[in-house]
Amino acid sequence: MSGGPGNDTIVAPATAPGRSAIAVVRIDGADAVSIVEALAKREFEPRRATHTVLGDGDASIDDAVVVVYRAPSSYTGNDLVEISLHGSAYLVGQLLGAVRRRGARLADPGEFTERAVLNGKLDLVQAESIVDLVDARTGLQARLSLRNLTGELSRAGESMRASLLDMISRLEAALDFADEGYEFIGHDEAETALETLLKEVRGTAATWARGHAIQTGLTAVILGLPNAGKSTLLNFLCGTERAIVTPLPGTTRDLLRETVDLGGLPVTFVDTAGLRETGDAIEEIGVGRARDAAAGADLILYLIDATRGMTDDDRMEIARLRDPIVIFTKGDLAPGGEDAISVLSGSGLERLLGRLDEEVRARFAMAEEAPTVVNERQRAAFEACAEALEAALASVGGGAGEEIIVVDLRRAANALGSLTGAISTDDVLREIFGRFCIGK
Amino acid sequence: MPDHPSYDVVVIGGGHAGAEAARVAARGGRRVALVTMQREAIGRMSCNPAIGGLAKGHLVKEIDALGGLMAEATDAAGIQFKVLNRSKGPAVQGPRAQCDRDLYAAAVQRLLAAEPLVAVIESIVSRVDFSAGAVTGVALADGSRIEARAVIVTTGTFLRALMHSGETKTVGGRFGEASAEGLSDSLRVAGLSLGRLKTGTPPRILATSVEYSRMEVAPGDAVPRPFSILTDRIELRQVSCWTTYTGAEAHDVIRRNLHRSPMFSGQIKATGPRYCPSIEDKVVRFADKERHLVFVEPEGLEHPWLYLNGVSTSLPPDVQDAVVRSMPGFENAEIARYGYAVEYDFVNPQQLEPSLQARGVEGLFLAGQINGTSGYEEAAAQGLLAGINALQFLRGAEPLVLGRERAYAGVMIDDLVTLGTEEPYRMFTSRAEYRLLLGCDSVYERLTMLARSLGIVDDERLRRVEARLERTAAARLQLEESELTPDRETLAWLEPLGLSITGPTTISRLVARPEFEIDSFFSHCASSGRFSGVAAAFDGLSSEEKEGVVNHARYAGYIEKQEREARSVRDDETLRIPAEFRFERPGLSAEVVEKLRRVQPASLGQAARIPGVTPAAVAVLRMSLRYEQRSANGPGRGAANLP
Ligand SMILES: Cc1cc2nc3c(=O)[nH]c(=O)nc-3n(C[C@H](O)[C@H](O)[C@H](O)COP(=O)(O)OP(=O)(O)OC[C@H]3O[C@@H](n4cnc5c(N)ncnc54)[C@H](O)[C@@H]3O)c2cc1C
Ligand SMILES: Nc1nc2c(ncn2[C@@H]2O[C@H](COP(=O)(O)OP(=O)(O)O)[C@@H](O)[C@H]2O)c(=O)[nH]1
Ligand SMILES: [Mg+2]
Repeated sequence: MSGGPGNDTIVAPATAPGRSAIAVVRIDGADAVSIVEALAKREFEPRRATHTVLGDGDASIDDAVVVVYRAPSSYTGNDLVEISLHGSAYLVGQLLGAVRRRGARLADPGEFTERAVLNGKLDLVQAESIVDLVDARTGLQARLSLRNLTGELSRAGESMRASLLDMISRLEAALDFADEGYEFIGHDEAETALETLLKEVRGTAATWARGHAIQTGLTAVILGLPNAGKSTLLNFLCGTERAIVTPLPGTTRDLLRETVDLGGLPVTFVDTAGLRETGDAIEEIGVGRARDAAAGADLILYLIDATRGMTDDDRMEIARLRDPIVIFTKGDLAPGGEDAISVLSGSGLERLLGRLDEEVRARFAMAEEAPTVVNERQRAAFEACAEALEAALASVGGGAGEEIIVVDLRRAANALGSLTGAISTDDVLREIFGRFCIGK
Repeated sequence: MPDHPSYDVVVIGGGHAGAEAARVAARGGRRVALVTMQREAIGRMSCNPAIGGLAKGHLVKEIDALGGLMAEATDAAGIQFKVLNRSKGPAVQGPRAQCDRDLYAAAVQRLLAAEPLVAVIESIVSRVDFSAGAVTGVALADGSRIEARAVIVTTGTFLRALMHSGETKTVGGRFGEASAEGLSDSLRVAGLSLGRLKTGTPPRILATSVEYSRMEVAPGDAVPRPFSILTDRIELRQVSCWTTYTGAEAHDVIRRNLHRSPMFSGQIKATGPRYCPSIEDKVVRFADKERHLVFVEPEGLEHPWLYLNGVSTSLPPDVQDAVVRSMPGFENAEIARYGYAVEYDFVNPQQLEPSLQARGVEGLFLAGQINGTSGYEEAAAQGLLAGINALQFLRGAEPLVLGRERAYAGVMIDDLVTLGTEEPYRMFTSRAEYRLLLGCDSVYERLTMLARSLGIVDDERLRRVEARLERTAAARLQLEESELTPDRETLAWLEPLGLSITGPTTISRLVARPEFEIDSFFSHCASSGRFSGVAAAFDGLSSEEKEGVVNHARYAGYIEKQEREARSVRDDETLRIPAEFRFERPGLSAEVVEKLRRVQPASLGQAARIPGVTPAAVAVLRMSLRYEQRSANGPGRGAANLP
């Protein structure tokens, strides 16, 4: 093994184990290139995908495509080789064995990305974004991760921290030069500046609702009286006969979930038991679950059978719900129901999809313009900062001395510092790199 | 010349740093040679006859808690005591004492004479000797040698010193004193690089030539509060100071003669203190300020001179005459000694370890103005720590490095070795981020037991400190344990104090309220017979101790917050950067690497404080340190299992 710490040679599969069309194996470190050259018995031009046969001694392993990246122009900043071979666990195992026999060791989880950070290729928030990016399921998720990958959230946090540090130094100057009759920052100016900053920090912390939605997706619960057409709508939305549909009220008992991409986000629709008083014990449990699901939902679709119109029961239910989207169903049966949808005839469905798409974007997906908090660690940093700023504002309002105000301002600055790793304990690192799997 | 007997420690220079270093090393049981140019100049105040002030007062109290001598000498020489910054919170107020300069030097000399292990040698050190990266002793001007394993350089403003008064230049570190010429070269031989700094002093006025009725009286505090825990009360007669100011006429004269000031003419190339600027600096820099305040301070009880605080200058004598005589009360003033500036060699302190030992030269310690600081208190605090660390070095023990959350002295030394200085460094409260943990009233709690474990605290001091801590702890406990409930009787009792409560609470929490007034509270307790336990506990406290207990209750919540912050960065302070760690690595820019190499930070925390070391760079360093630790423990342990 050659190369110092952070440059010894490591290897790992970069694709999920199991059968797939192709598998990618990464080798990083001082001997990465010489090992692949030994396996291929040839040299490689950097950054060019080269088709070659890999073998271990006399035994051939597989036909593969090899790309060699030379330090420092690689993901990790070291010499890095990516080998694409046929997606078979057996072949991958063969290749890993051959590479390890030539001095490489199996990489730790997250070690490739850790090396990228060590080599200054990524900062911590960017490294986190890589995990998010790999996990991304929809376009919006990927775009958001990419933006943090370019450092947007780090930059926003740093600029807020810089303005805090500026205010701290001006307040502190007042402590040392009080007798000289110079004022460094007035009471009102400090108050206004803090309020502005607090708004900004809170705003960023609030993007968590969106950021979180983008990472984990949304839940939309379909509610309504029995036979309103809930299961029919679910089946339409997911394009399969997921739920049993009958003309009998009380058919659906348990919750049924299906995930679809809507407004750029994964939205999980939940079909529920129709809301009604019932003597049936099982159905009653189902109704209870429906109400619970509604309580935790990001979106509620409330369905009303247009042939019956809005009943008192409907009004009562709607009044209890948070921002429900009311939808009339069975438009084909109800005369004059232009606003109603009909899954049977297909009318109004496109408009419904458009409306849902819009609602999702409006409520959750607007984050594209602003730096967005996408994980719990980042959220905690901004919340801690906001909490400290509130305490500082309270001190300013209460006429406390600079030496007291500054205590909370420093806490606020340090909270932001922990975002980018300027101030951080090992816990932060552990949290970030603990989320990786091997090969990233 | 025959050589001298060998000593354990040689201290070069009997200034404020040197006096502390010599005494503490002797208290630690080592034989000390204090070599200084002039025996009677030991403890001399080069500039203003005052000790303490904002943040500097904190340093003096810390020195006292660690067993140093500055507080004792101040109490023996103080002729006006005053706590500054009374308009600000208690943590940032600073005790200050105007001193009789002759009595001050005499007190320092007396305190040193009382140490049997300190030998004063009157001479100039011309060379420090080294062998194999370690100090072996010093050579004196007469060619004789003193052998010692530890040498502490506290030469103040005297290395290659040049005094300027207008166009006139005189070699010397202080009026009427010589300059030390050879020593700079031998520091260079030790691998240290030197720079130039300058500082100035104002003119002294014949006290009989001034019209006092034309000035404002600036009295001291009604009851002078001693600096040292060893002092029961201040015995000296207390005097007043006065204030006057420079106005348009003075500023005109200065502007017209700027070309004759050695700083503005380019005769002095060194950098002066931004915080203690000369009057010509002030006139240029604050051009729209119509007046500059001048404090008029007696140099002593019997001393014939007055000190003009605020008009430090190196303009030629005729300009000084004109400026001085333009000030109210000074129309007929006679200048007894003209102000001058002095230019001297200093060592960029980034070349020192946090112990104040020169990096790479075992046993060579530097303290005081030579490290780029300005001020007696800054010098003394460094001298004390250098003395302690010379002791530790001789004992083969770990150096004493005070954390930034532990002491102002710790903040100062960390700043010096981490940031370096481009201008004379002065202590400020704003430099201490954990200042609520560093109040004057907590010095004994913070430092004395630490010093005791190093064997440098005398018995009498220890006895007094222990008694004080016991008293104040009991009073604190009383405050915390005395509970009030909002019953009718209690509410009625609180009413005359302007206090009211809505739920059960403690007196400690009442104290934290802005409307709480301690004296009326206790007289109310006494007249009503309530809370006699609290009153009794407070009765035994001095006024200073009382304030301390009250301040502690007032700041309680914030002190806790600061303690939490301090703890959260402690990980970084204890993450050591090994001496062999290579800073050149791809994740760090050439600029950052250059800065890290200059300072050679001992811990990640210190690295993070170097200006220009970016958050991203800190993250890279942190991970590299962890990564290499892990690799050293054997590869393949996984990032998720960071130790
Ligand atoms: C002109 C002048 C103006 C000043 N103005 C200010 C000011 O405005 N504000 C402020 O805060 N401070 C000022 N000071 C600084 C203050 O006096 C110093 O900060 C403080 O005295 C430094 O203490 P020290 O122990 O480092 O050195 P010093 O007090 O300077 O003591 C050094 C001692 O070392 C001796 N010595 C030096 N070299 C040798 C040698 N080779 N061999 C033997 N003995 C040697 C000297 O004789 C002297 O006794 C001024 C000083 C001077 C001289
Ligand atoms: N004509 C018509 N019938 C519908 C429509 N949607 C649902 N139905 C019928 O209404 C009945 C109840 O539907 P279902 O989806 O099971 O209702 P749920 O009880 O709310 O889940 C079934 O017989 C469906 O075929 C529609 O758009 N048009
Ligand atoms: Mg159903």
